[in-house]
Amino acid sequence: MSEAENIKENEVMETALLAGHILLENGAEISRVEETFDRICSHYGVNSGNAFVLSNGIFTTVGDDREKYYAKVQHIPVSAARFNRVAAVNQLSREMETGKYTVSELREALERIKKMPGKKRRTQIAASAVGSAAFCLLFGGSLWDAAAAFVSGLVLYVYILYVSGPHLSKIVGNIGGGALVTFLCGLFYMSGLGSRIDYMIIGSVMPMIPGVAFTNGIMDIASCDYISGAVRLLDAMLVFFGIAIGMGMAFTLLSAFGGGILL
Amino acid sequence: MTAVITEMIYAVAGTVAFSILFSVPRRYYLSCGLIGGAGWLVYSLSGRILPPEGAALSATVIVILLSRIAAVIGRCPATIFMIPGIFPLIPGAGIYWTSYYIVTEQLDLALHTGYEAVKTAVAIVLGILFVFEVPGRFFKVFEREGRK
Repeated sequence: MSEAENIKENEVMETALLAGHILLENGAEISRVEETFDRICSHYGVNSGNAFVLSNGIFTTVGDDREKYYAKVQHIPVSAARFNRVAAVNQLSREMETGKYTVSELREALERIKKMPGKKRRTQIAASAVGSAAFCLLFGGSLWDAAAAFVSGLVLYVYILYVSGPHLSKIVGNIGGGALVTFLCGLFYMSGLGSRIDYMIIGSVMPMIPGVAFTNGIMDIASCDYISGAVRLLDAMLVFFGIAIGMGMAFTLLSAFGGGILL
Repeated sequence: MTAVITEMIYAVAGTVAFSILFSVPRRYYLSCGLIGGAGWLVYSLSGRILPPEGAALSATVIVILLSRIAAVIGRCPATIFMIPGIFPLIPGAGIYWTSYYIVTEQLDLALHTGYEAVKTAVAIVLGILFVFEVPGRFFKVFEREGRK
């Protein structure tokens, strides 16, 4: 076997792994990660590529009696979903099938996708505020309730981006978030802004609800990736519990200092 | 009926806001919003004859069906539409009232609302699972319409 072929197999595997990394990190299902890895390997003529994907890591090997052995393990911490990158990798792998790219061109395109910017922090905070207000209205709140939810949804996302995300563990961060929202809404309610504290709180915790972990967990279990599915559902459950515990703690505080207005 | 339409507008707005949070590509905002709105419409209409978990099941089925159709037309993963589209159906009120009743030591009420919330969550899970069993070839019909 010549040296050039060895390098090529290595390169194909690295490229396929990069694609898998981007997909997994940004909220794709396990089956999609495995499928994309296999598709890239077989498109460039590497038939012995194998990937074992978990919710926070990818284990890959290439090699059999004809192709040289390579293996690589990559740990991929759970982070916020960025679907623009998932969509871009998906699009790229469709274009690859038409034979548009050499391996190194594909790799360059993937590197570009990896650096694709997410939404600006300002935009995310605004989206959280608008979403909180909209869900407050949807669940039956009045316009004043929605105004309160708007403000607490905004403050919540500032907290998520600048305090809980970079500095706190996930569990403590969610307890803090649930408490923050409940506390803010309690203050608004006691100062006369809005009439239904339940709608305000339900609307403004929505940005914390683990929709991606929950849905992907179910999809993974549906495609028999039980380990990853169970981990993702556990992740979602912990977030739900964290929010509920935070709410409970803030309720207790508010009723202690607010003279039992709420409870 | 006007109440239902106003609610649908709120659901669309909320879903679009959440698709921005998840960095969904801009060209799919409208589809995400409409899918969320359609889900809520089915939820509130079927809620008149079905219990809440039945309404959640039928609404989830519609959300996932529409997401798969949108995915075939837009040539992108279905999860992009599903995840924001499901948000209006999440039993947020269940979590709120369960923790409220636990704190106020009304444990029988806490158990009741907690159980209702879990039932709705299971209904959403079943809705996702059922529609994902539908083979991909049933959605090929839409591919031709979407081809440019």
